[in-house]
Amino acid sequence: MKLPRERWEQGLTYDAYKAGMTRNGERVEANERRVVIDPESVRMVRDVGRLNALVLAEDWCGDVIANLPVLARLAKETGTLDVRVFYRDQNDDLTQRWLNQGKYKSIPVVVFFDLDLNELAHWIERPASVTELRARKRAEIYASRPDFGSPDAPVDQLPDDVRAALQAELAKMREETTPFANAEVLRELRELVAGVRA
Amino acid sequence: MKVKITYCAECGYEPQTLELAQALMYEFAGWLAGIELIPWDSGTFDVSVDGELVHSMRRDGGFPSADTIKAAVRAKIEG
Repeated sequence: MKLPRERWEQGLTYDAYKAGMTRNGERVEANERRVVIDPESVRMVRDVGRLNALVLAEDWCGDVIANLPVLARLAKETGTLDVRVFYRDQNDDLTQRWLNQGKYKSIPVVVFFDLDLNELAHWIERPASVTELRARKRAEIYASRPDFGSPDAPVDQLPDDVRAALQAELAKMREETTPFANAEVLRELRELVAGVRA
Repeated sequence: MKVKITYCAECGYEPQTLELAQALMYEFAGWLAGIELIPWDSGTFDVSVDGELVHSMRRDGGFPSADTIKAAVRAKIEG
């Protein structure tokens, strides 16, 4: 699929997107600082040459807050990725092109194009490995504290103090798994980029 | 009578949460002891009335209509 040049140019640069964020700006900045971009990833992406990267995002989305900074840092370190961000809900023509499993409007979506704006590859939401790890860790948290009840039970049935404790444990788990998640996002993005050359 | 709305904050479900809370406030102001809004994760959108789960996104799919929740509250009041 080829994207019209005028449509591409309607996207926001990453800095313009951040400047326009209505919330979670500090979380994005913090994630950006903690992402580790290794030299091998930089080399693999640079070897492919210049590419355009279209991103569908919304500033309230946890996966965007977590994963868009990985792409942004990769673009900054390589200097070969031109990133343009489009708000998902304001750009349904683009959103409908890259639905998750053909039906879900999951974000972020990252679509790589060559310089003539021919689509090369796309990536959606988060790595399956991250979903699997966090599901396992979540199950372990529930198993370690019988007072947390069942993972499938509504949390509003829990006493306030127990719910607060569960919330704290889940937040801690997300924090502890962030380095793994960032590394997995980086791995998938660099492999996707490297694959467009193969 | 207390209504609890548990919503996925990371999914941006605040507008649907506030819309439902507002509908209940207008309809049942004199009957409700409180409306509790609980930010959660994992795509949750659960509504319970006096401890009874009347809608679960995971169980029932999607968001509930305000009319569905109002009917559940009304049934509790009349029951």
